[in-house]
Amino acid sequence: MDVALSKNGARLLRVFFALVVAFLYAPIVILLIFSFNNSAVPSFPLSGFTLHWYHEFLVNSDLRGALETSAIIAALSSIGAVVLGVLASIALTRRRFRAKSAVSALLLSPLVIPYVVFGISLLLLFHTIGVPRSLLTVVIGHIVISLPYTILVLVPRLDQIDVSLEEAAFDLGASRLRTFRSITLPLILPAIVSSFLIAFTTSFDEYAVASFVVGTRVTFPIYLYSALRFPNQLPQVIAVAVVVLVLSLVVVVGAEVGRRVAERRFVALEETG
Amino acid sequence: MAVAEAGSQPALRRRRLRLDLTTPTLLGLPLAWLGVFFVVPIAIVAAYSFNVYSLFPGPHGFTLRAWHDFLHSSVYLALFWKSVKMSLTVSAIIVLLAYPLAYYLALSGTKRKYVLLLLLIAPFLTSYLLRVLAWKVILGNQGVVNTFLFWTGLRSPDHPISQLLYSRFAVMLVLGYIWLPFVALPIFVSLENLDRRLLEAASDLGASRLQAFWRVTLPLSLPGVVAAFLFVFIPTLGEFVTPSLVGGANGYMYGNQIVDLFGTGFPDWETGSVLAIFLLGIVAVLTVVFARFLQPRQVVAD
Repeated sequence: MDVALSKNGARLLRVFFALVVAFLYAPIVILLIFSFNNSAVPSFPLSGFTLHWYHEFLVNSDLRGALETSAIIAALSSIGAVVLGVLASIALTRRRFRAKSAVSALLLSPLVIPYVVFGISLLLLFHTIGVPRSLLTVVIGHIVISLPYTILVLVPRLDQIDVSLEEAAFDLGASRLRTFRSITLPLILPAIVSSFLIAFTTSFDEYAVASFVVGTRVTFPIYLYSALRFPNQLPQVIAVAVVVLVLSLVVVVGAEVGRRVAERRFVALEETG
Repeated sequence: MAVAEAGSQPALRRRRLRLDLTTPTLLGLPLAWLGVFFVVPIAIVAAYSFNVYSLFPGPHGFTLRAWHDFLHSSVYLALFWKSVKMSLTVSAIIVLLAYPLAYYLALSGTKRKYVLLLLLIAPFLTSYLLRVLAWKVILGNQGVVNTFLFWTGLRSPDHPISQLLYSRFAVMLVLGYIWLPFVALPIFVSLENLDRRLLEAASDLGASRLQAFWRVTLPLSLPGVVAAFLFVFIPTLGEFVTPSLVGGANGYMYGNQIVDLFGTGFPDWETGSVLAIFLLGIVAVLTVVFARFLQPRQVVAD
């Protein structure tokens, strides 16, 4: 007898699970359907198949510009967040120092700050020191909010690595930097890649903080937000939505699968080697 | 060649020493970054709320005036309670929905556990705004739901269900939709770590499944449930994007008020700062009180 679930219980939960998953994906599927619908208003009945909206957004230079801006900001801020995250994670897992719990609380605190509060705080800071809002101010904010996510991915991976490998390198005369480059870095590479992807997607999708500190070059979420107020742009926004949602699902699933495969291989290597 | 190498060796070693990863080198940059771009900005807002600092010309000086006005204003506090109630309701409902999902994944013995978990969580990792957009398309007066009802004749086009969009209901539905996948994660982790032998022991000692659930499984998974609850409650309490897109006047939340006080209409940065710091204070208290449930490990399912 299964102690956790009866046969009928399991069946019931499976149905419930399927229903919830259907609920979660239904809006995405509905967007998908209406992105091909030949009507300026997304409503029933469906009025025929078209690729018009996809074509429309491909030739929309504002939209492409916003996507490009977001890609630049996401790339810069995720590189920044990963660099800071690697440094902080090594300190947290490999060094003893005073007030460690306070330091780790500070490093993780951007996770819980309401973005509206952080947004206005940054806005006041940039006003105070006289920095005009620009692409760079958004990057600065995004590094802050992505940093804890990179640490959450990197710390468990660093904890898994056998410290004696690093100690051996160090004992054999490698500097700490050399030890990091030749031993630690290759071992945490999969985690670095996935923390980069998390930081990238966080930034690419971020609206709340960016809305306070963005300059004249708008990001994709800010473009989307303003486009939502003009009904005539809705169908092409839906087409973009479908492309972005599907792409991000592919990236997310691909990254997770890739990370698991890579880590399994590393674990196997560690065990044999 | 050999001479050149020998000559460059000491220089190399010296540079390595300077670059070596000591604790201050490791922590300096991350802490400086957070200090300048996270702690200082918040301190500026706090200073603003006490009128110690202002960007506009006028009399400065420490005063509790804005705080006094805030704590005695029925408008702002009522709005705060409304937001608390909305967030509490959303959090409670989706934790209740997510628990069976996590239970199924962790304890039903299904082989495709991680595939199903990824299926559940993947929507959370896609664009937030676009998922809100989807509901805007679905719920509007001329949206998918209403036009479907007109089309099938279940409702006359003159009487769409108008409360669907721009209502408190819409805000709560969308927030629940957005956070549901994420909530399942900490519950799943706590159930996954549950020692199944405890359940076998309970069963051997004559407990029914229901008794074993109430007396063993539920209490042991409670930390995950509390964490899940807070993971939704904290961010939704200060939410302003979803209510501004689907909330209308009815779904207006505390976060929207903060934005408007810093906005272009009738800006009042001093009062806005008070509202912001008050929200931050509440969140900080919640985080500290429940710190032991908010272990990062709860989020990192592996």
